Amino acid sequence: MAEVNLNKTAVSPKTKSRNGSNSLMKLFKRNDMGVVIATALLFLIFALVTESFFTRYNLFNISRTAGLYVFIAMGQMIVLVIGGMNLSLGGIGGLVVVAAGYTMDSLGWSPWISVPIALSVGLLAGAFNGIIIVKSKINSFIITLASLFIFTGLVTGISQGFPYTNIPKSFTLMGRGSLFGVPYTFVLAIATLLIMAYVFKFTVVGRRILATGGNLEAAQLSGIRTDRIVFLCHVLSGLFAAIAGLLWVSRMGSAQPATGSDWLIISFAVAIIGGTALTGGEASMLALLASAILLTLIKNGLIMLNVNVYFEQTFLGLIILLAVSIDRIRAMIHSSARKFGRRDVTEAKPLAE
Amino acid sequence: MRRKLSKPFLLIVILLMVLATVLSACSTEGPAPSESKPAESEEAVQPAQSEAPAESEEAAAPAEEQQPGEEAAAGEAPAEAAPAQGEYKLAWYAPAPHPYFEEVLQGVEAFEQEFGIPVEKQIGPDWEQSSQNERVEALAAQGFTHFSIYPADASGANGLYEELTQNGLTVVNFGASTLQPTTASFVVATDVKAAAMQATEALIQSMGGKGKIINVLEVLEDSNTVLRKEGVEEVVAKYPDVEIIQEISGMTSVEEAVEKIGNALSANINQVDGIIATGFTTSVGIAQVLSEYYDTGGNREIHAVGIDTDPTVMKAIEDGVMDGTIAQNPFGHGYLSLLVLKYLAEGYEPVEGVYHIDSGTAFVTKDNLDSYANDIMAVTEQIKSELTTKYLKK
Repeated sequence: MAEVNLNKTAVSPKTKSRNGSNSLMKLFKRNDMGVVIATALLFLIFALVTESFFTRYNLFNISRTAGLYVFIAMGQMIVLVIGGMNLSLGGIGGLVVVAAGYTMDSLGWSPWISVPIALSVGLLAGAFNGIIIVKSKINSFIITLASLFIFTGLVTGISQGFPYTNIPKSFTLMGRGSLFGVPYTFVLAIATLLIMAYVFKFTVVGRRILATGGNLEAAQLSGIRTDRIVFLCHVLSGLFAAIAGLLWVSRMGSAQPATGSDWLIISFAVAIIGGTALTGGEASMLALLASAILLTLIKNGLIMLNVNVYFEQTFLGLIILLAVSIDRIRAMIHSSARKFGRRDVTEAKPLAE
Repeated sequence: MRRKLSKPFLLIVILLMVLATVLSACSTEGPAPSESKPAESEEAVQPAQSEAPAESEEAAAPAEEQQPGEEAAAGEAPAEAAPAQGEYKLAWYAPAPHPYFEEVLQGVEAFEQEFGIPVEKQIGPDWEQSSQNERVEALAAQGFTHFSIYPADASGANGLYEELTQNGLTVVNFGASTLQPTTASFVVATDVKAAAMQATEALIQSMGGKGKIINVLEVLEDSNTVLRKEGVEEVVAKYPDVEIIQEISGMTSVEEAVEKIGNALSANINQVDGIIATGFTTSVGIAQVLSEYYDTGGNREIHAVGIDTDPTVMKAIEDGVMDGTIAQNPFGHGYLSLLVLKYLAEGYEPVEGVYHIDSGTAFVTKDNLDSYANDIMAVTEQIKSELTTKYLKK
C-alpha cells in the first residue's frame, strides 16, 4: 500500500500531466468538438484581422444574434432528434409575431397578456403539427410543409403585410437589454441550452426522446409511448419558435409579419452543423451553441472584412465548408491517434511481459 | 382494422369541415376593397383579395361602397358588364400581399369610382413568376383584355407578356419595369435611378456636404438595384469630401437587413456619418437598427435616408432617428396605369419612343410628414393632364 503510495508520489507530476493531456484528448475526441474548435479559430482570426471586431458593440450584436439563432435551431433540433423535421418553423414564428403585434398594437393589450397569448399560439401551432403527424402517421415533411402554407397564409391574411409598430417600449428590454454587457437574449439561450442538456442527459423524458429518434421500433418495444414523445417534441418546437419570434419583436420594437421567412435554412444549418443527426437520436447542446455563434461570426466577419458584395455568398459557402472540414480533420487525427495508440500497446506488450 | 381505419378517416372529415368553414368565412366576411386602410390603421380587417376568388371579392363589397361600375361587376362575371365605349375588360394584378400594393389598390379604386369602369383586382400568393403566369393566363382565359401588372420577375414576365400581346391583349407595367425589349406598352413607375440620386443628395446635404457613407443595397440580382447603385455613386462622385466606405447587399427580408446593417454599423461605428438605403426592406432595416442604436445609448450622429413610406420608416423620421425618405407614388401607379389602359383600349397609341411614365416622388422629412401626400397627388394630376399629349396619341 505504501509502495503504491510512494509510487504515486514519485510519478505524481507525470501522472498529473498525463491526466491533463488525457482530459484534453478526451475532450478532443468528443464528436461535438469540431465545431467548437472551428468557432474558436474563426473568432481568433476575425479578432486579429479586423479592427472593429473586438468592440463591445460588435460583440454585443454577435452574441444577441447567436442567441436568436440558438432558439431557431432548437426548434428544428428537437424534431430532428426524433427523426422528423419542422418546415413550418418560420411560419409559426411569423404567426407568433403577428399575434404579439396584433394584441399589443391593435388591441392595446399589455405585454403581460400578449406574451402568454403569443406563446400559446406557438404551442398550439406545434400541437397542431404534432397531433396530425401522430394521428395520420404521415411523414412530418409533408405535414409541416402543408402547415407552413397554412401559417404563412394566416400571417399574411391577418396582417395584410403591414408591420405593427406600436409596441410598448418596456417590451424591448429583453431584446435590447443586457446583464453585465451580455445580452439577455444570449443569457436566455445559454440557460435554455443548459436545461435541454440536463433534460437529455439526466431525465427519463430526455432519454426517451433520444431513444425514439435512435430507433423507433426498439423504443416502442421497450414500452416508450413514442406517439406522445413525437407530439411533445412538436409542441416544444412550436414553443422555441415562439420564443424566437417574441425575442425578435422585443429586439425590433415592432412586429414584422415577414419574420421567420428565412428561418428554414438557419434552423437546419445551425442544428446540423451543430451535431444534430439527421437520422435522429443524437444532439449536442454545446455544438449547437458553437454552431449558432459560428454562423453569426461568418456573416459578421464577411462584412467586417468588407468583402466584395458580388462574391459574398461564395465566401460564405467557402468558410462554412472550411469550418466543417475542421471536424473532419479532428476525426482523422483522432482516428490516427487511436491507431498509433494501439501500435504502442502491442509494442508495449512484450516489454511489459 | 376498423378501429385503425376510423381515426384517420375521422381526422380527414374534421379537417375537411374546418377547411370548408374557413373558406366560407373568407368568401363572405371581407369588407369592401375601398376600405383599404392607410398603413397606420393596419388593425382594420382587410379584404381578402389575396385569398378570395374574384367573384367573392366583388360580392363582399357592401352595397353602399359600390361605384356605378362596380355594381355591374358585383355579379359572377364582371366582364359581362364591360363599358359601352369599347370591348375591353380591365384587370389589375399584384404578385403577393404587400403594404405597397394596398396603397396601389387605392389608386385602382379611385379610377373605378371616377370612371365607373370595373377592374378585376387580384393579388397573388407569392413572388414567383410561375404563379403570376398561371393567374394572369387564367384572367386572360376569362376574357380580360387589358392588364396592369407588377412583374414578379423583370426578365421572366416578358415571356408572359409576349404570349398575351400575341393574342391581341395589352399590358402596362406598374411599379417596376420588365427588361427591355418588352411587349408591355408602358411602365408607370418611379425613375429608380433619379430617386436614388435624390435620396443621396438629401443625405449628403444633411451631413453638411462631407463624411463617410454606408450604401445599403437590396438584391444585386435585381436590375433596379444596379440603377440605384449607379445613382448613389454618381452623386457621391460630385462631392470630393464624401466617400462610400462600405457597400452591403443581398437582403431579402427585414431580419437579414437588420443583421447585415447592424454588422456594417459595428464595423464602421467610429467613422460612419451617413447610411443610405434605396430599397424598401433595407430602409426598414436602417430604421430598426438606428432606433435600437440610439435606444441602447449610441451617441454618434448618423444621418440616414431611405425609400418608401413603411410605418417603421415614418416612425423613425418622426422620432428623429432618420432624416427622411423618398415617397413614391403608389396611388399613381394604380390610377395612372389603368387610365393609360383605358386610353389604349379607346384607340390611343403610345407616342413613338415613349415607354416610361415617371410617376414622381416626394422627399419626406419630419416637417412634411402630414402633408407630403398632397405633393404626390399634385404630381399625379400633372401626369394625368399630360397623358394624351405627352405619352399617347390618337
